[in-house]
Amino acid sequence: MKCKEIENHLGEYLEGTLSDTINSEIENHINSCSNCQQELAELKSFLSILDHDKMETPSANLKLNFDKMLAKEIEENKPKVIELKTHTDWKTYLRIAASVVIVLSAFLLGKYQSNSLPTNEKNTAQVLALLENSSASKRILAVTNAEEFTNKDTKIIEALINRLFFDKNTNVRLAAAEALSKFSEETIVRDAFIKSLETDTNTSVQIEVIQILSKIQEKRAIKPMQKLLEKEETPQYVKQQLQLNLSTLL
Amino acid sequence: MKQLTDEEIMLAIANGKIEMLSILFDKYNLRIYNYFNKMVQNKMVSEDLTQDVFIKVIKYRTSYKNGNFAAWIYTIARNIFSSYYQKTKKERTNEIDDDKLNASENLVSESNQEEIEHLQKALLKLSNSDRELIVMHRFQEIKYEQIAQIIGSTENAVKVKVHRALKKLKEIYFQK
Repeated sequence: MKCKEIENHLGEYLEGTLSDTINSEIENHINSCSNCQQELAELKSFLSILDHDKMETPSANLKLNFDKMLAKEIEENKPKVIELKTHTDWKTYLRIAASVVIVLSAFLLGKYQSNSLPTNEKNTAQVLALLENSSASKRILAVTNAEEFTNKDTKIIEALINRLFFDKNTNVRLAAAEALSKFSEETIVRDAFIKSLETDTNTSVQIEVIQILSKIQEKRAIKPMQKLLEKEETPQYVKQQLQLNLSTLL
Repeated sequence: MKQLTDEEIMLAIANGKIEMLSILFDKYNLRIYNYFNKMVQNKMVSEDLTQDVFIKVIKYRTSYKNGNFAAWIYTIARNIFSSYYQKTKKERTNEIDDDKLNASENLVSESNQEEIEHLQKALLKLSNSDRELIVMHRFQEIKYEQIAQIIGSTENAVKVKVHRALKKLKEIYFQK
């Protein structure tokens, strides 16, 4: 091989990517040729200079801007709402008309039939049953429905008081307290509130009951309120409520 | 979960899982940024161009067809560089002066700083295609085979070109 050819292969020679035969050929040549020796030394030192060059790190802006861009893209690529084609076809209208007639007749039928039953009694039974439902949300629904009844219905009120005292779920107890506040003229309801204040340990229920008692101006509540105020384990915010509402009662 | 390849991740992105692009960003942003920084020798511009690459990846994600991802993203980077180069052609004489300033400002202050500075200047004197080959091969350590894919050539041709470019660079470097 001539010097020119050797020169062209020096890079690969240094990388060690040449075949053994060419490798040894170059070695032999270099040993005998000072020109190529110098060339090789030069290339070696030059490559080591190149290797000094380290990757630079971009500023934090790059990542920041990328994140912004990506967030925007994700937002824009969320599935879009596809509008339905408005398809005018008399058959469709006929179908809609038919379904309207069916729904209407079902409604009228139901209304007529339910009129034949004593609504109030049935509803009371329903609500009472629902109040014992195992699902807390069903019980809350029942409690809210119970508000609609008149004062006279002691069964409902008793069931609500029962919920206020014994329901495991705080939200049901809260809803029961709220519903009962509508029946506050009843003595059993007032008694129940005072009893609940003395026994319920949940702070949300306590606060609700405190507010109701002050609203209905139940003087008998003063004592248990003061007692609660003196208790050390009563949280500060409950105490605040107590002080606030006690002042309206005194 | 098994480790996904870059190609699998990119296919998922093409299929709408855009958020996965952040994985590829973390993996490639440094390399792409340094590719640009070597080509234009300006940090700000390099950051902008790197951002452009990932915007293009999103924009053209559906045109990705299962090929080597690194080759694909470098192809995008090259196109961005070349359009940037065309755009700034008129002001280039001024730009290069600025760039040189920037480059020397930003370099690490080590004993070999002068060497590297000199090398940057030499690099800028090479043609774009020669500079690019050296950047990809020496600084980014991309294999010949992959460079061939990126620039649309054969492995052997790339080998020869890289060594010729290195030789040119060496000559420029030792000239002064």
